[in-house]
Amino acid sequence: MTVLTENETKKLLAGYGIPVTRGNIATNADEALDIALSIGFPVAMKISSPDITHKTDVGGVLLDVGQDDIRTKYDELVSNIRASVPEARIEGVLVQQMAQQGREVIIGLKKDAQFGHALMFGLGGIFVEVYRDVSFRIVPIDRNDGLRMISEIKGYPILKGIRGRKPADINAIADVLVSVSEMAGKEKITELDINPLIVGERGAIAVDARAILE
Amino acid sequence: MLSSIFEPHSIAVVGASNNETKWGGRIFKNILNDFKGDVYPVNAREKIVQGRTAYPSISEIPDNVEMAVIAVPSSFVLHVVEECGKKGVKGLVVVSAGFRETGKDGAELEDKLVSIVRKYGMRMIGPNTLGIVNEPAGLNASVIGKLPGQGSISFITQSGTLGLAIAEWTIDIGIGLSKVISTGNKAETDDVDLIEYLDNDPSTGVIAMYIEGIKRGRKFIDAARSCKKPMIAIKTGRSERGSRAVFSHTGSIAGSDEIFTAAFRQAGIIRVDTIDELFDAALSFSCQPLPEGNNVAIISNGGGASILATDACEKHGINIVNLEETTRERIKNVLPDFASGSNPVDTAGTVSYEIYSEVVQALLNDTGIDAVIVIYVHAAIVDSIPPARAVVDIKEKSTKPVITCWMGGAGTENGVDILKKGCMPNYSIPERAVKALAALIKHREFLDTVKIKNTESAGMGASK
Repeated sequence: MTVLTENETKKLLAGYGIPVTRGNIATNADEALDIALSIGFPVAMKISSPDITHKTDVGGVLLDVGQDDIRTKYDELVSNIRASVPEARIEGVLVQQMAQQGREVIIGLKKDAQFGHALMFGLGGIFVEVYRDVSFRIVPIDRNDGLRMISEIKGYPILKGIRGRKPADINAIADVLVSVSEMAGKEKITELDINPLIVGERGAIAVDARAILE
Repeated sequence: MLSSIFEPHSIAVVGASNNETKWGGRIFKNILNDFKGDVYPVNAREKIVQGRTAYPSISEIPDNVEMAVIAVPSSFVLHVVEECGKKGVKGLVVVSAGFRETGKDGAELEDKLVSIVRKYGMRMIGPNTLGIVNEPAGLNASVIGKLPGQGSISFITQSGTLGLAIAEWTIDIGIGLSKVISTGNKAETDDVDLIEYLDNDPSTGVIAMYIEGIKRGRKFIDAARSCKKPMIAIKTGRSERGSRAVFSHTGSIAGSDEIFTAAFRQAGIIRVDTIDELFDAALSFSCQPLPEGNNVAIISNGGGASILATDACEKHGINIVNLEETTRERIKNVLPDFASGSNPVDTAGTVSYEIYSEVVQALLNDTGIDAVIVIYVHAAIVDSIPPARAVVDIKEKSTKPVITCWMGGAGTENGVDILKKGCMPNYSIPERAVKALAALIKHREFLDTVKIKNTESAGMGASK
């Protein structure tokens, strides 16, 4: 079993045409600045460690970091983690493009002993955690299946746009669902989570993702 | 071939005895009751079993034996099955328990059993099955008390005792069955094999299943998807928290139950929660055509019942639509002035052959209506028989489904009897009638999506 880091998982996703936030791993403050300059400010900074799954919980994520303080933020982030999770192996800091505004959805893939891979779709946050408002399919799926998965959840009107809000790009979500379904057939994935996939009025982008390979 | 098990010419029961409280004795008696082919008891100690000459072993039966029921202790089973193979037996129903269900040693014994069965190219139901029934062949090789009435529902059950209790219950309430199959441990023949067999079985119109777990998940989906007959299933374990797995990162939950629901939906299997729903739906499938859509009309002699039916329809996404002008005219002509000619049609308490016949016919002729629910509410002053006759007479000619609901206690039996004999799916309350109809509609929608898929892939030139 191999646990992929966020950066590795995103490379895998990008290989299947799934849009991911751009970024790279910096191992020191200077590198962090260089990477950020190539992406454009502001950036997100996330600790990269095979031992930390829930980065936010341990103070491992900083958002909207500007050019002036990126070097100090790098050092701050690393010392935060050294204090909160002393045993964690730190590979560096993932310096990343800040995602556009949009609605957060979750896409999951899990290998089931009986049926093969099951694909899950839901709205992010409380919708999945409290209301379990999710839909499932056994892969492979086609685009129509993907569209049906999206429209099945109770929170679908939120994606379609309520109270004058413009609709989220549902076709873009369906594209990602189909790509993940395709990945399931080709990669040895035990589990994959894209959480969140941020969906704007045009396009969707994977902001965080983790995978476990066989 | 599974036909050797379900349609054998000759049967031996190994472990047949005079003691009908034992499985071997009971099953032997049940086979003798209705089966027209040759039946041989095999018993090492008795010379005569239930009036038939017994043989000490299967190899000593002078004639060919196509199928053997085995009800001996598990320690003898391998030897008996080897003998069956040498004798040229084609199909086995292994009732004996003491295999995989008991643990590691039992699992090893079961593996050996399967390899002997395969070595001789036999087919096997079980072990640990409570038997099989094939009504059209007059075959009751099970512990069920009597053969069911004629019907096109075939029932596959993983639970032996519960499943057979259910089968007995359906027999008692007069639901006909084609086959009852207690799968036992599914060591050699599993759900996939059975679905494929029943799909090609002319006497099976609908498959009802009681499922606890599935062996070959993907194959199961494929078999169900390509099965031409409607399938309805109860899958137990919805509330089994322990079976839930977790998407580790998000903490969101993909329970194995949710995955089952998804798999069933993709396979076009209608999943129901209760045994009532299972057979309510199966009954409608077994004797009604599929609706073209979900636009429904209701007729009732009582307003309350049609409101209940209307509410239930709404809950299940079924439309109660406006009637065509010509339909309304026709209905008004036969109804009293104060009755309602709109959908749901309320006859304002009046009941007769003519009224029910005319209204139901008018509703079926309406091009905007895909199915009709006919409700009769019993009252002391009306007779349940004429409207039942009217519905049965019309149903013969209808290509649209008609579902009935005869409500009330004493006094309705005669009408209900006519409906049953006329192969009408009749239910005691409107909600059950609507749920059964909803199952028909669901299946129609599934077939439509499959059709769309097939045309799409054909258009893309991918259907080679």
